[in-house]
Amino acid sequence: MKELFILVGFAEIVLVIFMQWQYYLKKIIVTFAISSLLIGLLLFMQGGFQNNVNLIILAVLTLLVRFLFIPYFMLNRLGKVYKEKNPKQVVSTGASIIISFLLVILAYVIYRLTLYRYISVEAGSIPIAIILQGIFLAISRNNAFVQLIGYMIMENSLFFMAGYMFPDLPFIVEAGILLDLLGLVMISGVVMKLREGSVSEVIDEFDEFRG
Amino acid sequence: MFVYYFPFIILVFASLLCVFKRDALAAFVSVLSSLIVSALSIVILLKPNVTAGYLFIDGFSKIMVVLISFIYLTTALFSITYLKHVEKPLLKKNFYFLYLNLFVLSMLFSVVVKNLGLIWVGIEATTITSALLVAIDNDKPAIESAWRYIIIVSVGLIMSLVGVVFVYGACHTLDITKIALLKSANYKLLLLGSVFVVTGFATKAGIFPLHTWLPDVHGRAIAPISAIFSSILLPVALFGVYRVLSSVGMDSLHLYAIVLGFLSVIFASIFLVNQKFYKRMFAYSSIENMGMILIGLALFNKYAFLGAVVLLVSHAFAKSSAFYSTGNVLNVYKTREVSKVKGMVERLPFTAYSLVFSALAVTGAPPFGTFLGELLIIYGIYIKFGLFWVLVLATFLVVAFMSVNYKVARMAFSSSEFDRVEKVRMSAFVPLLNVTVSFVIVFLIGFIEKILIAGMIK
Repeated sequence: MKELFILVGFAEIVLVIFMQWQYYLKKIIVTFAISSLLIGLLLFMQGGFQNNVNLIILAVLTLLVRFLFIPYFMLNRLGKVYKEKNPKQVVSTGASIIISFLLVILAYVIYRLTLYRYISVEAGSIPIAIILQGIFLAISRNNAFVQLIGYMIMENSLFFMAGYMFPDLPFIVEAGILLDLLGLVMISGVVMKLREGSVSEVIDEFDEFRG
Repeated sequence: MFVYYFPFIILVFASLLCVFKRDALAAFVSVLSSLIVSALSIVILLKPNVTAGYLFIDGFSKIMVVLISFIYLTTALFSITYLKHVEKPLLKKNFYFLYLNLFVLSMLFSVVVKNLGLIWVGIEATTITSALLVAIDNDKPAIESAWRYIIIVSVGLIMSLVGVVFVYGACHTLDITKIALLKSANYKLLLLGSVFVVTGFATKAGIFPLHTWLPDVHGRAIAPISAIFSSILLPVALFGVYRVLSSVGMDSLHLYAIVLGFLSVIFASIFLVNQKFYKRMFAYSSIENMGMILIGLALFNKYAFLGAVVLLVSHAFAKSSAFYSTGNVLNVYKTREVSKVKGMVERLPFTAYSLVFSALAVTGAPPFGTFLGELLIIYGIYIKFGLFWVLVLATFLVVAFMSVNYKVARMAFSSSEFDRVEKVRMSAFVPLLNVTVSFVIVFLIGFIEKILIAGMIK
């Protein structure tokens, strides 16, 4: 399982970096769905290996909520214009990719110097790297949808961390967190739709990058 | 046992009835539900403490249940008349009351569960149920403040979720009664996790440095929502902080919380000096009060703890009164600026006096309960840290007192060419009622102490 955890963790990091260079919101949302799919599958396999029914139920819930419902809901909420065009970036694409890589290194250094002494899990820096990348994604784009995805990436990394390091975390807590996220996304969807009229940073010159 | 679950059943039932598109029915059901829940909260107050299943109801929980129920009641009553003044509301009235009921439900849930993860779930649920209530005014600033509220508070709560996971990693339980009794744990990881949890919950409580959402939301939300946020939502989040502090009895964690509280008082007082908008001014006053309450809870001696709870209760009634009053002022004057509101005593006599008294109460003036609460906390600080820190804190409290009361006095007692316009309606009566309760708390301190001592974890 350890190798699988590292593999999925690495894939999660790559997926967030992939999101950083995407110009279109639709692709960012689809990438988020893939990232959730990987976490759901990891939890499912871990539940199978450990004969832990709660983990399997949690994996199914993760797949239903994070992989299917939330991306579907967000794509539906996304106005046609915003589905295809990218809102203004605060940090340029090149710089944001470099910063993303640096955050991975920073997470490793922080983890080895501090948390590793208390947790002693070799690849424990991966979730921290994903959290930092989630924060960076949220602040690097001037758009509510991307900010929400940044937030959900942070939550994904926590699920990932809890599922691997502490698989016996009470099911009711994890299910509660999942339901909260569902509610938060739906309410955010409403507020974002209302905000749409006041967001004016759509940049036409990115038209050529469509598709 | 059934009585402990009954308020939740009532609220769920009331919420379901609010789904029907009948505004009058929704308002009636919500007021009725708030009356029943308030009555039940008194029954629960007199019942023994409970630790069973997912429930942990001690003295402090009971006081929080009573507080949430009564502010819910006054907010429901005030909303009935206030909503008539909202020109193009984001939600229909029945949905407004639906979200209000769910919001109260999530707050009640947060103060009665014993699992730290479930406390987190409850506090996060308050964000979901209240976000649309913030944007009721349906203009750009209100919607923007709702978005800021969602994103800042959620990031803060993610931080506390990281903490919850670490606490579990250290203790292998999230049951606060068990954490308090643990003999062996990974203490360094527990401390780190607790710091994260405290910081995250403190974000929701408007504690420095992640307090920035609070003035925006309080400034732009409608008066009854600002009132319920300031008077019970912030204390519910602080209650979460208290649960962590009381179960993880580490001195360094307590010191961290005290520092956050101190910084909140200092920064809020400084920002109060130049505040031009009266609703934002009361929002900063809430930050200052939450800072004081946090210090009281974190000091963890009996005087400071009692002071914190007394301040929390008295502040809730006084601050809700202040915000209800600001709603009445906004309806008549159509401005949020302090300098443009003049001669309230002549134009809005009931509201003017309730605003003046509630401003005195929230800034800790005698004879209100807030004064005694702050005095007890200051005594607690004196015992632990000596006179110097008492003087530093007192200086900033005086600054806050002067700033708020000078501005409110100018709004109320300056001359104006307008005649009296206020009719004695529910919206004028409710703030007066609440500020009176804030005073009456002084006579209940012995009772509050008895309730608290009967149910402390350690």
